[in-house]
Amino acid sequence: MRQLPLVFLILNSYSLFAQNKSDHSIINSKSLYDRIEFKASYTGNILWNQGITIGAEYLWRQKAYEKKKKRGTKLITHQYVLQSEIGFTFMPATQTDTGLLTSLGLIWRRTNPKGKQISIGINPIGLYRSILPEVYEVKGDDVQKKTLAGRIYYAPSLTFGFGKFRKNKALSGRYFNFNFGIRTPYNASILPTFTVSYGYRFKF
Amino acid sequence: MQVFYQPLQYLMDIVLNFNTMKHLMTLGLKIFLVLLVAIQVISCSDSENISNLEDTLIVRHKGADMPAYIYGNGSEKVFLIILHGGPGGYGLSYRYGTIKSEIEKTCAVVYFDQRGSGMSQGTYSKDGINVDIMAEDVLALVKVIQHKYGDDAKFFLMGHSWGGTLGPATLLKDQHVFKGWIDIDGVHDQKGLYLEYINFFTIVANEQIALENNIEFWNGVLNLVDKVDANTYSDRDFHDLNSKAYEGESILTNDNIIDKGDYDGDVFFKYNLFTRLWNLLTIHTILNDNGLHDELTYTNRLSEITIPALVLWGRHDLVVPPKFGQEAYDLLGSSSKKLVFFEKSGHAPMFNQPHLFADEVIEFINQNK
Repeated sequence: MRQLPLVFLILNSYSLFAQNKSDHSIINSKSLYDRIEFKASYTGNILWNQGITIGAEYLWRQKAYEKKKKRGTKLITHQYVLQSEIGFTFMPATQTDTGLLTSLGLIWRRTNPKGKQISIGINPIGLYRSILPEVYEVKGDDVQKKTLAGRIYYAPSLTFGFGKFRKNKALSGRYFNFNFGIRTPYNASILPTFTVSYGYRFKF
Repeated sequence: MQVFYQPLQYLMDIVLNFNTMKHLMTLGLKIFLVLLVAIQVISCSDSENISNLEDTLIVRHKGADMPAYIYGNGSEKVFLIILHGGPGGYGLSYRYGTIKSEIEKTCAVVYFDQRGSGMSQGTYSKDGINVDIMAEDVLALVKVIQHKYGDDAKFFLMGHSWGGTLGPATLLKDQHVFKGWIDIDGVHDQKGLYLEYINFFTIVANEQIALENNIEFWNGVLNLVDKVDANTYSDRDFHDLNSKAYEGESILTNDNIIDKGDYDGDVFFKYNLFTRLWNLLTIHTILNDNGLHDELTYTNRLSEITIPALVLWGRHDLVVPPKFGQEAYDLLGSSSKKLVFFEKSGHAPMFNQPHLFADEVIEFINQNK
């Protein structure tokens, strides 16, 4: 049972290789390579926690439709993207809020003809593993120093973001997300968390 | 099924594609370097110089991981453990003024984030937060410091406000590990606080009206006192009175009855504001629901505390009125004890009269270490 979080982390890392792209011609492609984008971002709350995350997105569904406007028609794309991320966040001042995080979820993304994107994501599967600096465990009169001590919290999250699709560029998109999540069970209840992410999507 | 098969196929493609492998390895190397730098930052931040300690320990006890920040002169292995107020305050909020500039030169000061407070974390149920367990946490902290710095370490316990509730709770479990107890405007009698608010507010308001100081505000205080139920404890009334106490102190400060303090603390980047406030709200609610303010009292047990004691109180403390300072002094069972009222202070004499405060604390530590 104790190995489950580790298995999850490995599976999640593996799923980084599972898959996106905003060019709507891609949806017709059977190639996994075409459907996958990788991403890397700064993730933190700027003031207290700094971190990086890397991940991958897999274009699962895409719908494109034309919207009639006075000046002509606009091609709007709606995508459903499976995403997975793994990251590291640390608190430079005291290291009391440092840890590894991982998440798995679904993103809905709308792209307009200029490539501007808005997205909403839900990550029902997420883990946060704290890494504490110098931990001593006390049981009765016994004191033991623990190495790489920390705790694992279930950490689902919601994201709201803006971005830009960059057609035919190596860095195929950039994004700025607001992330709202929780860690639970945290102390005697939950801990709400708020971070922002700024990053790029790219293909190899 | 294809969703699961395709990633495998893609992995194989990657393995067969040398350029992609090269890119992946470069990316991996960059990530590794970033992580390495981060780990270095983590591992190099503490100072092991015993005469100028800057140490952060985490005490893991009964489901909680609680940071203890240790600063100051540990050369004599004298540790002053500060129990913060609240409940739900945070340890490093006390690292300012003469605590930092003078007391840290005398001994090592331990700023402890209690269970569910500050940057403490962990996993436990609501039953895992009560005064008994929190007192055991303090004793666990003592064991950790002994483990790291040696069994010859000497301890003083200092509690402010809510820390004056937790202090007696700790000492009544085991006082022999401590050389002395410093009570700063502490609430040894949470249960009695409600009624004393009503008594003391009436006295102070009438005094201030007679002096023609802020008559409108103090009339408002008298109206509040008239409005609350003087016979039965009420949560809402208690919190109204408690808020009014802080307002009253700032009015007294503006009228130069309480000295203006100068806060030079540097904690903003050390506590995530949202985490700290959330923890404050949570632990306060849990302890309050468990009858903190209407049931808990150590008044009848103070006589069991026999170690040397120093009781420091602001004469104009509206949050924990001076009656409790006198009562603590009278009832403590210590043969060596001292009571000092700070004539120009409110609830935080270390803030209002920092030099006098440091003089008293340092003298007490030197006498009893």
